[in-house]
Amino acid sequence: MFSAVLVANRGEIAVRVIRTLQRLGIRSVAVCSEADAGAPHVRMADSALTIGPAPAAESYLRTDAIVEAARRAGAEAIHPGYGFLSERASFARACAGAGLVFVGPPPEATEKLGDKVAAKLLAADAGVPTVPGIERPGLTDEGIVSWAADAEDRFPLMVKAAAGGGGRGMRIVRSAGELPDALAAARREAKAGFGDDALLAERYVERARHVEVQLLADAHGAAVHLGERECSLQRRHQKLIEESPSPAVSPGLRERMGQAAVALARSAGYEGAGTCEFLLDGEEFFFLELNARLQVEHPVTELVCGLDLVEAQLRIAAGEPLWFTQEGVSMNGHAIEARVCAEDAEQGFLPGAGRVVALHEPSGPGVRVDSGIERGSEVTTHYDSLLAKVIAHAPSREQALDRLDAALSHTAVLGPPVNIAFLRRLLADGDVRAGHMDIGLVERLPPAPGDPEADEQAATVAALARGLELGSGEGDPWDYLTAWRIDGPAPLRWRFEPEGGGEVVEVVGAERSARAERAGEGRLAVTLDGERRTWACARDGGLTRVGLGGRAWSFREERVALRGGSGGSGASLEAPMPGNVLAVKVGEGDEVNEGDVLVVLESMKMELQVVSPADGVVGELSVSEGDQVTRGEALVAVGPAS
Amino acid sequence: MSVVLSSRARPESDQFAANQAAHAELARDLGEQLERSRAGGGPKAADRHVSRGKLLPHERVERLLDSGSPFLELSPLAAHGLYDDQAPGAGIITGIGRVSGREVVIVANDATVKGGTYFPMTVKKHLRAQEIALENRLPCVYLVDSGGAFLPMQDEVFPDKTHFGRIFFNQATMSAEGIPQVAVVMGSCTAGGAYVPAMSDETVIVREQGTIFLGGPPLVKAATGEEVTAEELGGGELHSRRSGVTDHLAGDDLEALETVRSIIATLGPREPVPWERAPTEQPAVDPAELTGAVPTDTRAPYDPRELLARIVDGSRFHEFKELYGETLVCGFARVHGHPVGVVANNGVLFSESALKAAHFIELCDQRSVPLLFLQNISGFMVGRDYEAGGIARDGAKMVAAVSCARVPKLTVIIGGSYGAGNYGMCGRAYGPRFLWMWPNARISVMGGEQAATVLSTVASDRDPEELEALKERTRAKYESEGHPYHSTARLWDDGVIEPGSTRDVVGLALSACANAPLGPIRRPVYRM
Repeated sequence: MFSAVLVANRGEIAVRVIRTLQRLGIRSVAVCSEADAGAPHVRMADSALTIGPAPAAESYLRTDAIVEAARRAGAEAIHPGYGFLSERASFARACAGAGLVFVGPPPEATEKLGDKVAAKLLAADAGVPTVPGIERPGLTDEGIVSWAADAEDRFPLMVKAAAGGGGRGMRIVRSAGELPDALAAARREAKAGFGDDALLAERYVERARHVEVQLLADAHGAAVHLGERECSLQRRHQKLIEESPSPAVSPGLRERMGQAAVALARSAGYEGAGTCEFLLDGEEFFFLELNARLQVEHPVTELVCGLDLVEAQLRIAAGEPLWFTQEGVSMNGHAIEARVCAEDAEQGFLPGAGRVVALHEPSGPGVRVDSGIERGSEVTTHYDSLLAKVIAHAPSREQALDRLDAALSHTAVLGPPVNIAFLRRLLADGDVRAGHMDIGLVERLPPAPGDPEADEQAATVAALARGLELGSGEGDPWDYLTAWRIDGPAPLRWRFEPEGGGEVVEVVGAERSARAERAGEGRLAVTLDGERRTWACARDGGLTRVGLGGRAWSFREERVALRGGSGGSGASLEAPMPGNVLAVKVGEGDEVNEGDVLVVLESMKMELQVVSPADGVVGELSVSEGDQVTRGEALVAVGPAS
Repeated sequence: MSVVLSSRARPESDQFAANQAAHAELARDLGEQLERSRAGGGPKAADRHVSRGKLLPHERVERLLDSGSPFLELSPLAAHGLYDDQAPGAGIITGIGRVSGREVVIVANDATVKGGTYFPMTVKKHLRAQEIALENRLPCVYLVDSGGAFLPMQDEVFPDKTHFGRIFFNQATMSAEGIPQVAVVMGSCTAGGAYVPAMSDETVIVREQGTIFLGGPPLVKAATGEEVTAEELGGGELHSRRSGVTDHLAGDDLEALETVRSIIATLGPREPVPWERAPTEQPAVDPAELTGAVPTDTRAPYDPRELLARIVDGSRFHEFKELYGETLVCGFARVHGHPVGVVANNGVLFSESALKAAHFIELCDQRSVPLLFLQNISGFMVGRDYEAGGIARDGAKMVAAVSCARVPKLTVIIGGSYGAGNYGMCGRAYGPRFLWMWPNARISVMGGEQAATVLSTVASDRDPEELEALKERTRAKYESEGHPYHSTARLWDDGVIEPGSTRDVVGLALSACANAPLGPIRRPVYRM
């Protein structure tokens, strides 16, 4: 086994790999960008090296810097995690060139599998069913268009990047008319994401499930599968919730899919841990791709199979033969993972950023959290939005769902927008509970209904938090004798504007029977109408952030907006200087906006524009072009719009 | 030699329970009077006020303050029992509050009370607020909504030195001292009232609500026959665009108040605290037991350390001359982190007590430690031996020391405040920066019983029945005139406070005092 391994990644996966290295007594070496200098993976590792500025292209994607770091730190092997350089054959080669072991498949296998076109041909040769489509090196837009036109049932179809995955460079096209734009966009994204704009096109199976098989293959020709994971709950082709086993896979189907995956791995000369992704349509399955890396969702397999996949990767990379056979693999219970991401699920899953000002992660029997953040972590848009994974393991699927939901309800990340509430909504969905999932389910989910009562409670909690904060000063009595009055404290009154807009909420202390006390860092024990609950709570600059049950709210204290002296006066506008009317730009009754030019005067060799002080309607127009006006003479009136 | 004070009060005793009950009754009554005063001109007037889109004066003050700011209201019971109770609170709210991080004096007219016009006590309350602003160098914010002088009483509000005109004199002289003057015209500013905004450094007016004119539309019509609306004559548009009397035009009360906050935010930093403030500590002896530990009857003497133990930080007290002149307790302590030199009565003032006080006051002055007088005093000792011993001379030393101390002086009358005792213990005439009374306190030139005896001696030629009636009348008069409500109605104090509020009131006031720097001291400490 290795004595030191460099982890060429960041975030939760780097932390997770380091944890196994620590358990195995292997010295861990982390690398980081300048933005991650204080990140958990950096502090957890035995040593850490900074490899460049924040952008991934200048740090985590720099082969030379990482290889150099490994050399300097005396690492014998490099674990690439997922993403970044994990599936770049050139990186694996560079490692080999520097005398380092790359923890992953040989570059030849990666190359064969990394090109989707080649991979599909390879699968077909190995007897693995594939989705009908067109795929060949140098496939042009014209080639795809003519393929799409050569049969009746081509649409809907999908175009996607031949290199890479993760949803980037993918487009679903429902008619021939949409195709050219989709091709252009997909090529752009493919080029930007993978440096290669090669595309392929194939049948798009609606209501298909995404089911994948975990593989392990050693350098001595042995390969096993570790059952499947169902990852149908995706948004924008990126997985949100994954589970093992799939409720749609029978033991027979599992065996067929597993054998197909093993056959493909063998024919590709694969080594290490890999994942063979399939589309499942009833009992029919089609090969999608073979991911030559550890998957984000690997923990569900680990929990069900009782294995540490990172350990397996390391042992295989160190040349050890697989220490068990297919018969030795047993699946135990049910595991489900939810990805906690920095994104606004209700706003098209837009990624968000921010400093984590409060963080509460769940714990308890059957609950595992793989997290890459801590309180104070700065979440940026430089990297993937995945912050942490919450995984529940239980004897049955129903119990695992309940356990995961409970765990998520105890998870709070305040600061960046997070999708926990959305994940819980998904877990509560009837089809999800029943196991009737397909890859379109998430995007069909209706938007979250408003919950004014919860919003009001949250505002009350924010008010309580602010009140406690005001009263906690050690300084001057004017600082901490909160709302002191000669005859007892006045009710505290707050006007809160929800972050990102929305109606201003006014909270007056005495209106609800509410009490709060601090309950540890970032927590507030709040009794509202007799019910006591623990809220997450933190100040973030001018914002007060509170969270409960995975939901989060942020409020900005709103004071009255100053409009200045000019708002909606309805008064006449007067000539600021004597002069000539050069132009009259409006007529009586015209609707005008604030700042619109109404009249232009010429005076003292200058052109003066008389503009509308507010939105409104032009009233009396007292001048016309060519008129001479004196200072203070009424020109035009603007009244409020009726 | 600072010690942590302890209490001799026994919470299980009958006396303790009786004290608590008596204080509770006084507090209940005080609360009732405050509530009546807060109601201003009553619900009808309030409805009319609000229906014009105006905020009620208390609301204006609340909205002006920083979130969670304390408000140290001054003399809320001014004019109590005066003018047939037509002017609750004297129709004006004054106090100290924090606005944009600065402690400021706020003066807000209550237009629901006779149109916010100035009764004699309104003038006195306004001037007292300005005095507090001047002495403590606190910016002034005037929320103006007033019809000017209350005409039926014009001879008591208009002509004299401390009448209406003094308001503008103060504005000019304070501005000259660098104390910012900010006004918001939220209603009428008629006649003399027009000078409040006009004399301010920076002025806000509310459109179609605030008006400023020397003569209102009826007067203009009477004088020249010109017919003009109030808005045309002196509205926000006119003064913001044409006359330049106002500097900011606001759409409504809320915007106007926010504009003031914005103005205060431009004032820059306050003066540094002229003494060292320590972190605050709660008293070690439970303040909640205060009302059980001290009696309400001003004739029942009690050790002021029972009070000190419950109002000073950590109940810690560095007593000065503990063994000398024991009828006066002097020593150093802290209240809400501020250092104070406490002078508290523990019986009649003898020569030694007066000398000790004079010495201690000079000591505090030299050390820049603010003074806190806790008055419970029937007077200086009388009698042949004492006069012969020169008690008048020793009392004079105490009065002189009190008069000349440059450090802030705060006075709380916690029991009796009689005769020259009131003087020596920094009564109103000795310029304490703040003075409050407890609800059980009494204030008069002498006790009612003594006055009755003195008067009946002078009139001893009358028949006994008549004499008894005279004594009874005298006792009743002194009881009524010595009552805290009588005092506070006439601005002899800055408010009646519950004993339990003393610590916070003093702490907030000390912080307010800390806005003004201390001048140099040019006198040694004379050992008496």
